[in-house]
Amino acid sequence: MALEFELLEHTSDIGILARGSNREEALIAASHGLVSILVDPSVFRASEERYFKAPGPDEDAQIVNWLNEILFFFDTDGLVFVDFTIDSWSSAEITGRAKGERFDIERHEFRTAVKAATYHQFQSHAVAEGWEIRVFVDV
Amino acid sequence: MHLEKIDDYRWLIPKTYKAGMRTDAVIYANERLLQAIRRDQSLEQAANVATLPGIVGRALAMPDIHQGYGFPIGGVAAMDDEQGVVSPGGVGFDINCGVRLLSSSLTAKDVKPKLRDLVHQLFRDVPSGTGQSSRLKLSEADVNTVLEQGPRWAIENDMGSEADLDHTEERGCIAGADPYAVSDRAKKRGTGQLGTLGSGNHFLEVQYVDEVFDTNVAARYNLEKDSIVVLIHTGSRGLGHQVCTDYVAQLDQAMRKYDLHVPDRQLACAPIHSPEGQRYLHAMAAAANFAWTNRQCIAHAARGAFRRIFGESVHLPVIYDVAHNIAKRESHIVDGKQTRVVVHRKGATRAFPNQPVFIPGSMGTASYFLMGQEAAMRETFGSACHGAGRVMSRSAAKKGVTAKEIQKELESRGIIVESLTREGLTEEKPEAYKDIESVVDVVHNVGLAARVARLKPIGVIKG
Repeated sequence: MALEFELLEHTSDIGILARGSNREEALIAASHGLVSILVDPSVFRASEERYFKAPGPDEDAQIVNWLNEILFFFDTDGLVFVDFTIDSWSSAEITGRAKGERFDIERHEFRTAVKAATYHQFQSHAVAEGWEIRVFVDV
Repeated sequence: MHLEKIDDYRWLIPKTYKAGMRTDAVIYANERLLQAIRRDQSLEQAANVATLPGIVGRALAMPDIHQGYGFPIGGVAAMDDEQGVVSPGGVGFDINCGVRLLSSSLTAKDVKPKLRDLVHQLFRDVPSGTGQSSRLKLSEADVNTVLEQGPRWAIENDMGSEADLDHTEERGCIAGADPYAVSDRAKKRGTGQLGTLGSGNHFLEVQYVDEVFDTNVAARYNLEKDSIVVLIHTGSRGLGHQVCTDYVAQLDQAMRKYDLHVPDRQLACAPIHSPEGQRYLHAMAAAANFAWTNRQCIAHAARGAFRRIFGESVHLPVIYDVAHNIAKRESHIVDGKQTRVVVHRKGATRAFPNQPVFIPGSMGTASYFLMGQEAAMRETFGSACHGAGRVMSRSAAKKGVTAKEIQKELESRGIIVESLTREGLTEEKPEAYKDIESVVDVVHNVGLAARVARLKPIGVIKG
């Protein structure tokens, strides 16, 4: 199954429906989906790397925390990630890396600010073709 | 969902609607607004709020209610200070998102000939958008002082006067704010954002008084028809977002310890007097103080821009600054008894008697200045609505219209807009929001807050 995402929209929400052949791929697809809400990712290069650590008492919390890492590095270092790697996923945490480029208002166009990933209507489960994650973000 | 009609403006979700509801929920809306409200999950969310331990009175929803995360936006709930819980979801990610209104000695006639220059100057002087765009260079010690003391820090650094504090809710500082309850990540996220508007529905507008409904109250604030005012709508930026993110995670874990169960994980909560609940309240207070400082710094930058265009004699005193995403320790009469409660206002404005209440409309439409009334103390723990509320998704708003077209259309109505992003214009177009007049009608007719003046924009700065 190809790694893919689509954006879901309700009145005041934006959600990401991400699919992959396994949960790691689905999370990477969700990560790309989140970045695409912030900016047009196609113009960014994978030039700088950051380590991600997403602890949590369960898988749902770990996924939400992983996505919040993307927002943290965007707000603090201005980094737009276009390449994600998951190194390990244990019962306690997800660790991995993301590569991207710094946002530059002179060269890049900003789309929509995202405050946080949430548990609102959150789903992460196996489907016939692999794995699916649905997550809504507060914009 | 079947709602019981109480009267033309009040609708009841009885506590028998759903297992676990500890009290009824009341929705303030007219039939037309209710039709829009029914399109999302906000009524279900109001019922969920009624399940929270220690809730007193009823769970309440204002006429601008729409679907949020955990709590609906436009939700109010008071928790018993001894027995109740505190929930970061009842405050929201943008802690102390709020509104500050400045008056001026200028009239629309004075401003219109120089409007384009003014809007351009404001756009240059008030940073918007994302990332670390603040022009203030804060040390770690400065950040801690801001979190602890609020806008007093700005005033001590020549960005305002004592009078500004006199006209700010809580004088811009909630006691008990603890900078050490705020994570380093939150501080890192927010430090470079102090004095910035952000994006989304945040804005700074130059407005004129279009109509005065209460001349006595308006005169008290030197307002008459055509007076120029400045409305600033923003919050605690990335710092507040991270505080909420951190504490939703912490309280989510604490719920196991206290054997608490909620119908939606985003309602994560802890007993008010637990170490976790207390720590959240200390961090939330610090983030709220940061937000008041943010609006203070933006007001200072706006004053500078006005002086540059209209001369040094121009003054822009604060009419009032009020939060609409916050949890406050207050005393209210519940079942005839004075009771200490923590009032969660998420997308709801405190509306104590004789306290100014500001309801920003969507870009290009009217905003309202109202005055809190006694009925709010009896019915809504001293709360009223906070805005218009979206009716259209962002992608639906963007469809078939360009930023340039919106800018042109607004210009043809005499409104100059500068926005950092195209989305700031297309997603926030006036039609994307509920009709502000209906929302204000409900609040006024129920007696929660009374109309003082309608304000219309002529200049808009957006992220």
